[in-house]
Amino acid sequence: MKSEAIIEVKGLTVEFDGRTIFQDVSFNINRGEIFVILGGSGCGKSTLLRTLIGLVEPAAGTILIDGEDFTAAAPEEKRLLLRKFGILFQSSGLFASMTLAENVALPLQTYTSLPEDHVMDVISLKLNAVGLKGYEDFLPSEISGGMKKRAGLARAMALDPEILCFDEPSAGLDPITSASLDELIVNLNGALNSTMIVVTHELDSIYRIAHRVIMLDKIEKNIIAEGDPKVLKDSKDERIYNFFNRVPME
Amino acid sequence: MASPPTTEQDNIKVKKDGSRAILAFEGDLTVYTAADYEAELMGESLSGINELQLDFTKLTHYDSYFVVMLEHVEELCRSRDIKLDVQGMTDDMLRLRQTMEANVKDKIKKKKVQPPITKFVMNIGTSSVTLWKDFRSFVEFIGEFSTSMVQVVANPKSVRWTDFPFHFLRAGVNAVPIVLVIGLLDGFIIAYQSAVQLKDFGATAFLGKLVSRSITREIGPLITAIIVAGRSGSAYAAEIGTMNVSEEVDALRSMGFNIMRFLVVPRVLAVVAAMPILIILADFMGILGGLFAAIIALDMTMVGYFRDIREALIYSDVMGGIFKAVAFGLLVAMVGCFRGLQVSGGAESVGKYTTSAVVTGIFLIVFADAILSIVFQAIGIHK
Repeated sequence: MKSEAIIEVKGLTVEFDGRTIFQDVSFNINRGEIFVILGGSGCGKSTLLRTLIGLVEPAAGTILIDGEDFTAAAPEEKRLLLRKFGILFQSSGLFASMTLAENVALPLQTYTSLPEDHVMDVISLKLNAVGLKGYEDFLPSEISGGMKKRAGLARAMALDPEILCFDEPSAGLDPITSASLDELIVNLNGALNSTMIVVTHELDSIYRIAHRVIMLDKIEKNIIAEGDPKVLKDSKDERIYNFFNRVPME
Repeated sequence: MASPPTTEQDNIKVKKDGSRAILAFEGDLTVYTAADYEAELMGESLSGINELQLDFTKLTHYDSYFVVMLEHVEELCRSRDIKLDVQGMTDDMLRLRQTMEANVKDKIKKKKVQPPITKFVMNIGTSSVTLWKDFRSFVEFIGEFSTSMVQVVANPKSVRWTDFPFHFLRAGVNAVPIVLVIGLLDGFIIAYQSAVQLKDFGATAFLGKLVSRSITREIGPLITAIIVAGRSGSAYAAEIGTMNVSEEVDALRSMGFNIMRFLVVPRVLAVVAAMPILIILADFMGILGGLFAAIIALDMTMVGYFRDIREALIYSDVMGGIFKAVAFGLLVAMVGCFRGLQVSGGAESVGKYTTSAVVTGIFLIVFADAILSIVFQAIGIHK
């Protein structure tokens, strides 16, 4: 029987050159939920996400993915655990020398034994799902920023991973594109039942998509709030209240 | 949601009853197990039937490949005029299918696919136009650089000289070790190869003349310039290219800075200033390398070798070489900066123009060398 929590983080500490980014951070991410990591600029939101996916080595603490210790895993085991993840990077992370179809095809051709025509069908399906049907032969440099994000999402979804991560999905997008990306995240969460981890500080997005949030603080170097954003909006803690109500700190 | 499969599963049951077949799916239907179904779906179970039932009642795990498979079967049934009946389709399955299928938001801009021959001709045309545009842009760049240099001479304070020592250190001082090693080896190789030939003709007395003249006139300037093209030319292209991509160049322009004087002139002047020093070191090491070869291959004495060189080498050989090297350095640094400013887009473009800076730089070095060789002969600098 699979546990409710798909990711368990215990006592996580990350340091860069002796400078602590966050310390002794613990939280769980439940299966199938849209979990948002938020906080002010420089509080370590993206670093936390990068630590969860193994791009940053923690100084201390453990990360359990589906009950397996990711931090202590051997490189080969880590690679296998990472196949549970699909990641949409802040600047999409698309390979510039490949077309959109080739970008989406890469994980399918590497990790599955799908026949080539089925790979093409899956590519078509994924690009269709993100509203980019017909753009298979386009290079990332030939499409707009919002389309790049969606193409990055199509690649992240190529293997239908259990966990989809989004690093600042709305950054640099206009409100309409941003709203359509939010809608897509919610729809995909419902349709694929995958767990979504989103790093953002866009309040509109947070209210629209989040099932649960954690808020990191730059000074505390830890989580200062956890729960439903609609509840946290009325928090008595000034730092939390100000963040959710766009009030400048005095 | 898909997970990498851990065990092999027999998860499709085929039941055939006359003209009717039932495909019942059990367990997983994901991108990882997809190939297993292919044979069943396309195989004999569908031959000679006119009714097919897909049963998903016992399907426990599926991902978006489920939609691909469903579309395949539907198309197959349509083409073979088979009646399709789907059982056990849950609301979640329907929702997945709707999410995956109904999302075309952007106006489709299908690329026009050209036949190979048209593509080939188009590529030649495009390359020719690009080459012509490149040439024109480079000539414009040279013009702009020359104008800037005139302004710099008139008003030396208009250049950001604080950057000059840094660029001189990088292009000149940091290049010294590699120039010394390559120079030594070049001299050794030329002398060693020549010694064997000269010995056959009893002309070993000419070794010093051959080595010193070939090193100072040609090999020294050429090899040093190629090293500088590989080090500084590529570095300038990558550096300015990255600045271009991250909008630093736009920021400078918007703040009213002259890009030529701010970015290009200090870099080019640093290389031009470093070249004479590098070339003198390369010449010295080349002649020293020749000495080692002369001792090893011809049992020559150090005194004899240097006496031959003193008699053969003239002032114009060395100065001609230094002039060449300065010209090559000017070209290499200018091409590096020019290519850097051409970068647009992202990382791929930086790589493309960095490579191009080295290739164009080496081409221009060799081209300029050919012209200068003719000119030096014609005006009597090299005899």
